Amino acid sequence: MALVDVLLQVGLVVALGHLLAFLIVVGWDPRPTASDEPRLRYRLRRNLREVMPTLGVLAVVLTINKVVRDIGVELSWLLGVNLTRYIYLLESQFVAVLQSYANPLLTTYFGFVYIFGYTFLLTFPVLAYAVYERSQPLRVLLLTYILNYGIGVVCYVLVVAYGPRNYMPELVEPLLYTSWPQSQLLVAQVNVNTNVFPSLHTSLSATVALVAYRFRSIYPRWLPIATVLAVSIIISTMYLGIHWATDVVAGIIVAAASVELAVRIDDGRLAESVRRWRSRDSVSE
Amino acid sequence: MVQSSNGMGIRRRAVLGTLAAGATASVSGCLRRARSVAGWDSMEQVSLRIKTLPADSDPYALHAARMITSWYQAAGIDAQVVPVSEEELLRQVLLGNDFEIFLARSPTREQDPDILYGLLHSRFADTRGWQNPFGFADLDVDEWLEEQRRATGERRQDIVGDLLESSSRSQPFTVLCSADEIRAARRENYRNWYGASLHSTYGYLALERVSETGSTDDGSESEEATLRIVGTDRRPTENLNPLSVEHRRSGVLTGLLYDPIGYATSDGMSPWLAESWSFSDGDGGPEATVRLRPDRTWHDGEPLTAEDVAFTFAMLSDTTLGSSDDGTEDDETEADTQVPSPRFYGRSELVDEVTVTSDTVAVIQFTDCSPRVATRAFTVPILPKHVWEERTDRVSISGIEISDATEALVTNNIEPVGSGPLRFVQNTPRDSLVLEPFEDHFLADDSDERGIAQIGAPQFDRLELQIVGSDNAAVGVVADADADVTATPVGADTVPQIGRASDLELVVNRSTSPYLLGYNTQIPPLTNPRFRHALARLVDRSFLVSDVFNGYANPAVTLLDGTEWVPEDLRWDGDDPTTPFLGTDGELDIARVREEFRNAGFQYEDGVLVRGT
Repeated sequence: MALVDVLLQVGLVVALGHLLAFLIVVGWDPRPTASDEPRLRYRLRRNLREVMPTLGVLAVVLTINKVVRDIGVELSWLLGVNLTRYIYLLESQFVAVLQSYANPLLTTYFGFVYIFGYTFLLTFPVLAYAVYERSQPLRVLLLTYILNYGIGVVCYVLVVAYGPRNYMPELVEPLLYTSWPQSQLLVAQVNVNTNVFPSLHTSLSATVALVAYRFRSIYPRWLPIATVLAVSIIISTMYLGIHWATDVVAGIIVAAASVELAVRIDDGRLAESVRRWRSRDSVSE
Repeated sequence: MVQSSNGMGIRRRAVLGTLAAGATASVSGCLRRARSVAGWDSMEQVSLRIKTLPADSDPYALHAARMITSWYQAAGIDAQVVPVSEEELLRQVLLGNDFEIFLARSPTREQDPDILYGLLHSRFADTRGWQNPFGFADLDVDEWLEEQRRATGERRQDIVGDLLESSSRSQPFTVLCSADEIRAARRENYRNWYGASLHSTYGYLALERVSETGSTDDGSESEEATLRIVGTDRRPTENLNPLSVEHRRSGVLTGLLYDPIGYATSDGMSPWLAESWSFSDGDGGPEATVRLRPDRTWHDGEPLTAEDVAFTFAMLSDTTLGSSDDGTEDDETEADTQVPSPRFYGRSELVDEVTVTSDTVAVIQFTDCSPRVATRAFTVPILPKHVWEERTDRVSISGIEISDATEALVTNNIEPVGSGPLRFVQNTPRDSLVLEPFEDHFLADDSDERGIAQIGAPQFDRLELQIVGSDNAAVGVVADADADVTATPVGADTVPQIGRASDLELVVNRSTSPYLLGYNTQIPPLTNPRFRHALARLVDRSFLVSDVFNGYANPAVTLLDGTEWVPEDLRWDGDDPTTPFLGTDGELDIARVREEFRNAGFQYEDGVLVRGT
């Protein structure tokens, strides 16, 4: 019951956010033409049709992600390396220091951003790019999501790591859960507490911001919104005691790599270099 | 050219050159020198890894482990904490023997001295499970352990005293403190939260339903009363095998599914599945004639007989039941290895043989022990023969044997067929478990005149366990009226949260299963009892209790603390009588620490504790 409440709340807030952001970023119909055709709906339908294969792959990856997160826990205890103490040796009590600046206002802000802001940040660009004239930005965005989740799943199987709130409970408070206990019901549905490396919150947020930067000419107003949100979310993962700074750095690397790869896949450069590499290989043989 | 004096730095070509030059004499001198040095390896810092549970699984363990590592570090030891999940911790420690030190709650609430037999006897040093996980071996201790089994009265008291004193000096494990079990309970649907002692197996059965008139729920729900419990331990939703050591903590839920012959109360052992028992002198040990309650059945309707009792003890001692013997060849090799149950072997091995004389009477021949110790064997869960006799094969995947373990030890046992007061309804892995009262249980049978004091048939029609991620969330669920009580004890930091909610009751029970620091005594330098003794003196239990446990714990010295068995001079008196803290108020006195370790044969180099490797 409590879970349904939380889901409803998130759904409602994010939907409102979409409406507002749509008006600000996209405008009701950014490039009205002489024709009477309902432009938005037309573009939406055409774009969706064009990215359908990519969308299908994303669905598959998300399903795999879900399954692997369930059975992957068993798998990663079998195969994975327990990195927690090495991460601690690397960065020690950085997160605790960050949390020493905690105050109720900040906690509310970061808690809000971590749950609501994140859901919004991931979903809104899909909508915004879906109604754009070309389908390329949408396809690139979906490709980056696929890469993020794909890399994430592999890391989660290979690495066992507990977050700061689990490793130094006396120094790091699980601020999100103490200030809003119900939120854990939601988080527990999507997360396992040994999957903190890398931070998917960080990598996906950074990805959205990077994609917003790449396509800034399309929606110039989206870039500042996405950047502020992404930075807030990234800080919130550490502030709330969920992730280590190491996870965040790794997340940013995953984000940069995903965007770079996605762009190359989309414009065929990747396929081209693979072909060249192969042909060189065959020549040398 | 190369001189023979710069020993290790010789390059191959130079050696060849020297050989060619015929300088064999100088080379052999050099090799001799290298050989002499080889015995003198360099010193290396002592390093220790403490494996324990993350904060989500245990409210105190990780904090305590970190505090202990900070004391170790102050003593110059390279100490680190490795967090592992509960299932994995038990698997690595108890089955894989893959640990240096672990910090966890002791597995037993029992306080008979004979629990030490299973934990410390050297004959179990290679046995998997809770039988001597420390790999401890001490011939004097073995002797005392055997003698206390036979002795009675004051003599046993004396032997147990010697035993406790010896083990508190040699420290195969360090007892830290027993933490109170804190729970949040709702008042509106059930009462008697305090009297029910929820930390014991039959606690839920002692809850009393608040009459429907006072209930706030709508009418439809008050007809079917559900007891909703919420916990952080997800293992029971995936595995209900009572023999599976890595999936059980207190064993409350499997204890409700499977009946033992007797159960331990504060006044000794009471009959449970048995109607009565009587002891006589048998062959080399006592003999018990156990009469089962008549006409009992398993949850699947099959009759429960003395045959099942005999089967259970055979199964617990060797889960292969010697089945590999009937293999036509290789009788000598692996056919002879026994695979005892990792959870109950310490108790089941008290039994030599069980003879079935009728459907309801079993005669149990014990090893050489007193009847009082013998009754410990009555607390193991009785298993249905018709289900478990098919689980004696070794684990195989596609017909290839891949492990020594038998099917009985690795099956998740869902759905379980027991005879207990509750029976399985359904489970959703990692999410929930539903049980319901078993209507054919003797507790529900009014004609059964030998009722059990204080424990009656359950007053609920359904028991629903819900799993959440952490203590805070669990208390939150109870506060939101989505559950009646927290099933697993929660941390002291939730006490204010519970206290703030007016309709919640804070239930605090003294626990008898203390937190332990277990050492792997087969890995140097933990092999050295003096080293373990010195390690124990680095731990300030009073400070742990006040700082980590917020005062919701009591320092403990032995596993039998709080009983008559502990001699006067081994009782906590503000400090540990045998391994007092080397400092004050959580601050180590470094000079004294170094002296202690030097006396144990270790050295310091630049403030770092080193040992030869």
